[in-house]
Amino acid sequence: MTGKMGNRAALVVLVLVLAGIPASIVGYQYWLRPALADHRVVDIAALVPENGGFSPDLIRVGVGETITLRFAADDVAHGIAIGPGLDIDLGQIDPGHVGEVTLTPDSPGVYTYYCNTWCSPNHWRMRGILEVVDPTAAGAVGAPPDPIIEALIAASVDIDAKPQLAEGISPDRPNGEQKLETVEVPPGLLDPTWRLSHTPAEGLVALQAQNPEVADDVLTDVTAYLWSEPTPTVEIKELFAKNCAACHGELGAGDGPAATSTLETPVAFADVAWFRRGDIWYAKIRRGGMGTDMPNFGTLFTIEETRLLVDYLWSLSFGES
Amino acid sequence: MSENQRRPITARRVILLLVVLAVLLVPIPTFHTPHSRDVVIDASQFEYSPPRLNINRGDTVNVTLNASDVVHGFFLDGYEIDSRVEPGISQKFTFTADRSGKFRYRCSVACGPLHPFMIGELVVGPNEPVWRASALAVVAAAAVLLGARKRRMA
Repeated sequence: MTGKMGNRAALVVLVLVLAGIPASIVGYQYWLRPALADHRVVDIAALVPENGGFSPDLIRVGVGETITLRFAADDVAHGIAIGPGLDIDLGQIDPGHVGEVTLTPDSPGVYTYYCNTWCSPNHWRMRGILEVVDPTAAGAVGAPPDPIIEALIAASVDIDAKPQLAEGISPDRPNGEQKLETVEVPPGLLDPTWRLSHTPAEGLVALQAQNPEVADDVLTDVTAYLWSEPTPTVEIKELFAKNCAACHGELGAGDGPAATSTLETPVAFADVAWFRRGDIWYAKIRRGGMGTDMPNFGTLFTIEETRLLVDYLWSLSFGES
Repeated sequence: MSENQRRPITARRVILLLVVLAVLLVPIPTFHTPHSRDVVIDASQFEYSPPRLNINRGDTVNVTLNASDVVHGFFLDGYEIDSRVEPGISQKFTFTADRSGKFRYRCSVACGPLHPFMIGELVVGPNEPVWRASALAVVAAAAVLLGARKRRMA
């Protein structure tokens, strides 16, 4: 072989290496894998929100179509979950690893894939949309309206109202449980949905109207009993730990490590004054707090999960956790 | 004296050997009654506070681990302790500092660009190798001095 021919052979090998390696990677991803797979495979790169979050951040899938989502963490450790109501949690995904889930949605809807590991100060912004569309149905798909929040808005209740924190008596939940039989409870207060859209303060007023002869502290205790659930499930405690504790603190004292960086001081559920002020936690959680840095969780949690979480939050204010 | 001639085993040499063995092997007595210590370690990007822990050997260490920005980990070399901490939820664990020496603790959850440099150290005292080496140096110096004097006297 002459030197010239050797040079030419070397050049051919070089071109094959330089062009062949990228071509085989791209070819595998866009041609070979789709050709081999019997359904769509989507690769999703996960970066901290400061660097772009999920890409892609919107995925459309038809009803009944099987799709595989492959999440790769490209910078730091992320956690991937898809909600609401799908119960998909891929857990922590370290850089260099891939978390994979295959699903076949059977009804139209809008779901959110989100990070549930505190990966950066803006972690909670790390969300993407999984849209399940019915190709035969006309019209756009939207998230289903939340009946409780719709009703509140229809009744022109100001969800973002900020009344003053009130001084007053501290409720005693166990006493409320004992005294429940001795007072006349209006039927609304026994309805969990009514309790979600009304504050304990309103409940107390309703109880006082029904029982003018009973002392206020007894009625406060009964309100505390009705509005709270001091023994939450493991799932609800974990929900609080993963999504709320960074700002609101481990025991709801409003002293989480991120509490100093929010526009408004996070609510201290553990402070009984908040029980008397009585915001509609359900709406605040699902819709977010306007201008307070409180994110919206309505696209992540089911209505039932939010309800259980609210019951737990109220119980924090009596120091029973 | 020729090179291959065996050196006589004298009483001096036996004593020197015993002293050296004693320096190397006799356990160093601790004048410290082990007790329980509470330590709070705060993990943030990309450091531990405190970056260095000094603990007496035998102490029981109750660690409360906090994360103040993002998820961090805590892996303690030599003691094989691994923990993961989310901001807002402190982690508690206990270990007995029964191995002396210096051990690194490092972040075990990829927390950001400088994650590999997030390292702290646990020093469990006394620092036996240093003390033994110092004592050995003193013995060696004494042996040399004594040997030199003996040769001069001879």
